[in-house]
Amino acid sequence: MPAVRTSELQVVGRRIPKLDAPEKVTGQIAYADDLRMSGLLEGAILRSPHPHARILSIDVSAAERLPGVRAVIHAGNVQQSCFGYGNDNMPLKGDKVRFIGDEVAAVAAIDEEVAKRAIDLIHVEYEVLPAVFDPYEALEDASPCIHDELADVSGNVSMRWDFDHGDVDAAAERAAVVVEGRYSAPQAAPAPIETHVVIASFSPSGHLTVWSPVHMVFMYRKALADVLGLDWRKITVIQPPVGGSFGGKIDIDTHDFIAVMLAKHARRPVRLAMSREEEFIGTRTRQPIHFRLRTGADAEGNLLFRDAEVVSDNGAYNAWGSHAMLVAMNTITSMYRVPNSRIRCAVVYTNKNYGGSVRGFGNPQATFAVEQQMEELADALGMDPMDLRLRNANQSGDVTPQGMEITSCGLSECLEIVREQSGWDERRGTMRDRHRGLGAAAFIHVGGGARIYGSDGCGAIVKVEESGQVTLISGSSELGQGSETALAMIVAEEIGVPIESVQVVNSNTDIKPWDVGVHASRTTFVAGNAARMAAAAARDKILETAADLLEARPCDLRVRDGVVEVADEPERRIDFGRAVRRRLLREEGSVVMATAFYDPPTHHQDKEYRGNISAAYGFGAHVAEVEVDPGTGMVRLLNLWTAHDVGRAINPMSCEGQIEGGAAMGVGLALSEELVMFDGQIAAPNLHDYGLPTSVDVPRTVVNLVETIDPLGPFGAKGVGEGGIIPPPAAIANAIADATGVRPREYPMRPWKVKHWIDSEERSHVIAGKDASGHG
Amino acid sequence: MADVFIPGSIEEAVAFLADHPATAMPIAGGTDILVDTRTGRSRPERLVDLSGLRGFGGFELDGELLRLGALTRIRSIELDAELARRAAALVEAARVLGSVQIRTMATVGGNLCHATPSAEMPPALLVHEAVAEITGASGRYSTPLADFFVSPGRTILAPGDLLTAVRARVPSSTSGSCYLRQTVRWSMDLAGVGVAASVHVKEGAVSKASVALSAVAPVPMVVAGAEDAVVGTDLGSDVLAEAGRRAAQACAPISDARGTADYRREVVSVLVPRALRIAWLRATASWPEGSPAPANGVWTGMWTGELR
Repeated sequence: MPAVRTSELQVVGRRIPKLDAPEKVTGQIAYADDLRMSGLLEGAILRSPHPHARILSIDVSAAERLPGVRAVIHAGNVQQSCFGYGNDNMPLKGDKVRFIGDEVAAVAAIDEEVAKRAIDLIHVEYEVLPAVFDPYEALEDASPCIHDELADVSGNVSMRWDFDHGDVDAAAERAAVVVEGRYSAPQAAPAPIETHVVIASFSPSGHLTVWSPVHMVFMYRKALADVLGLDWRKITVIQPPVGGSFGGKIDIDTHDFIAVMLAKHARRPVRLAMSREEEFIGTRTRQPIHFRLRTGADAEGNLLFRDAEVVSDNGAYNAWGSHAMLVAMNTITSMYRVPNSRIRCAVVYTNKNYGGSVRGFGNPQATFAVEQQMEELADALGMDPMDLRLRNANQSGDVTPQGMEITSCGLSECLEIVREQSGWDERRGTMRDRHRGLGAAAFIHVGGGARIYGSDGCGAIVKVEESGQVTLISGSSELGQGSETALAMIVAEEIGVPIESVQVVNSNTDIKPWDVGVHASRTTFVAGNAARMAAAAARDKILETAADLLEARPCDLRVRDGVVEVADEPERRIDFGRAVRRRLLREEGSVVMATAFYDPPTHHQDKEYRGNISAAYGFGAHVAEVEVDPGTGMVRLLNLWTAHDVGRAINPMSCEGQIEGGAAMGVGLALSEELVMFDGQIAAPNLHDYGLPTSVDVPRTVVNLVETIDPLGPFGAKGVGEGGIIPPPAAIANAIADATGVRPREYPMRPWKVKHWIDSEERSHVIAGKDASGHG
Repeated sequence: MADVFIPGSIEEAVAFLADHPATAMPIAGGTDILVDTRTGRSRPERLVDLSGLRGFGGFELDGELLRLGALTRIRSIELDAELARRAAALVEAARVLGSVQIRTMATVGGNLCHATPSAEMPPALLVHEAVAEITGASGRYSTPLADFFVSPGRTILAPGDLLTAVRARVPSSTSGSCYLRQTVRWSMDLAGVGVAASVHVKEGAVSKASVALSAVAPVPMVVAGAEDAVVGTDLGSDVLAEAGRRAAQACAPISDARGTADYRREVVSVLVPRALRIAWLRATASWPEGSPAPANGVWTGMWTGELR
């Protein structure tokens, strides 16, 4: 598409409040939990109290006899098959349970209280098996085998992600400086305010409708059919407004299947709503990842290699979390120019809650290791860390060792901005007497889709009503991230109508065209390009009609603010809606509707993890300033400066909101959020103990938008949804190191850990955990 | 779902509670009970709603004596300028308890009677020599607040007993107090360690002092040896360190998801000197009047060498 000069843009680039904001701030929007329908039953799930046990018998007779109970299901009376990566999961477990919270049986009853009482009446006999919670123990030969039923899984390693580029050992010999360290990221949760809620209902003719705030509706529909033996032509999925997901609702989860099976058995619509406790213990998490990383450079500070051994503590089953290494690997090989790299990664089963997809998807974890090591390396070289970063920064035109083709890249500019604004050159390393410090971290993240399926595409339909109102029917959906508004702006800009003239329909699989679904910061880029293409095609139809009416050539016309005019003679004009009516309301008339499908020009990674999976890459840099109380270990985050290369800010207000919100989540990861577990049991499954940051914990975040005008993005835009969450753990760790001289090796950097590090004798090598390799 | 009984008088409330000792529970602000009920920690069949009883909310200052009605909202303590001058520890404890919404509902009586080891009000009241006023089926009696707590979640109140007020001593200009705590987050968090201190200063030396702790023992506690360590001194750094040591020895913390026992002990030894020091500054008019201390006693850019 042609480059567009900013001065020509009418809608794109304006600060426009989210279209759904009035409904949300007045509390009138109807989330899934607000939906009611006649005959609706309440579902409840019986979960395993054991981290690892064989199910010997299940007796549901007492539950079935309880008045008000309409269905009791378990592996013995339902039709279901495996799901998940490697088909290692089952909606209702029949043979074994593998973590505390695993689903064993479920009930549908006339209300929640009866459903809960019925759950208490189900008697399950277990043979408790030895469990393993530590991924390094899980790698040992003597460890209990968690998936003994899977022939192709050896031990508890379900996957390996190994990568080699160049000659790391030779590079290490040449290196003037090599730094090595271990870095650990904890079990965390997406923790949306809206818990998972699903409603399933069969019509008398057998058509299934499911209301679920899931991102990937089309794959969700297929998974329902495949796993439950249903006809996928007779399934409609409706996405109610999403009250926060952060990746937790990306694809189908166990309870979705259970709700549908309950509705089938009860022959009534069933609602299954997770309580806050269930949201923590029964839905997917951000799994712990442990890194042992080495980085080497020559005396001038040119990076020579990175060498990583990684263990992903993936929990009981392989959901999306097992693929977080896809992104972590990008950061290890491609954050800055690194000529040689080697990664050995094992994804390991443990008897714990399992990893799903959470915003940033492996990247905050990998960046915590990589970006701390950049500052350690700079210190070892006697260089300023910003100089080291700038010397090695990725640039437009680079192709990384994994084959990632970097087109637009504002990394250096982002680094310069936060360096300047934070007073980095004057202040870093000078405030230790006041227990203050500055730390930086940058990131690379996919920003133009991520090809992990056969298609990475999205469909769009633009329909222009006879009123002149424009409806975009997008395959992609709104999660609260503001994509709906961005897409409407793209359509308004492309056609030439005011934003008020565009509405977006995006929540029903019967209506909307196919899309992979929201993930990987892809919506503005992929769905945006699709919307723009469909809008252009619809506009051209109108121009065709208008050209007839104005006796001009279509190419001489333009649409501005809802009026079609001859470009050189604006007095020759016709209202946009009138042109539509003139096209429609005549003999042999036609509606104005256009479709488009945009699939980015990207490639699957090959077996060696090479391939340009995204059509654009986003970059950014943060600087954090902290003050550490050495007496209590409490860390106060004083300032956070951020600069993000967003390609083009379609809606600067939304971009800033995404970055601020992401950064706040990153601050939570850095300082307070953790699912603390004892023997596989989440100690306190509530928002309070989990440690979401409050507004008091997050300082005013300075956001700078760097516009590099991506060649393939819609109006030059790139994805911005995840970037904000990636740098804070690393930047804050670096700031703590600057303030105290102690290098944090794990997050969250809760007060007792910080104090322990400070008080420890071995200040430079405080390492928790065991040998990070697990396999040499 | 519980039945709710709305008594017309304290006597009615007491009688109802005495008649239903196993099933009835008093409720005021409800900020603890509603959470406990939802999580299943407690399942009261009958709730006795005290919130409408007249004469038990609000506080009055009579010379050195502060009398807080049990139904006094935490928020009204937090916002009172006179209390900020006279009972700084109490106001500092109030302002960090829960959120604004919680503080608007929660009451002093509820915070004491729920007897959470990490509760904010107890240590702040203990250093002000608080006495609990109780009305029960057999009449009215008073007891030092230090004797009020029995174990986590349990007080000396017998079924039918209601806490009606707390009396505290808030002496005039030559005394000062302070409440500090360690938390994971900077707001809406439970104390990992809570420390309150008060000092009275006469002729340049401490004449009287008290240190109380929360979250480091099964019940809120007064540190017995702390006063001896500081009386007669001007709170030099050695004295403060000794007071911290004694407090750390006296407490009995546990290890849990909010920190290890050793860490908590360490933090006690750090926060006790800070709290005593700030109380001293207040008692000697060296602190901006009515101005609260930061939660951990450290404020940006004001590190002093003697307080680590």
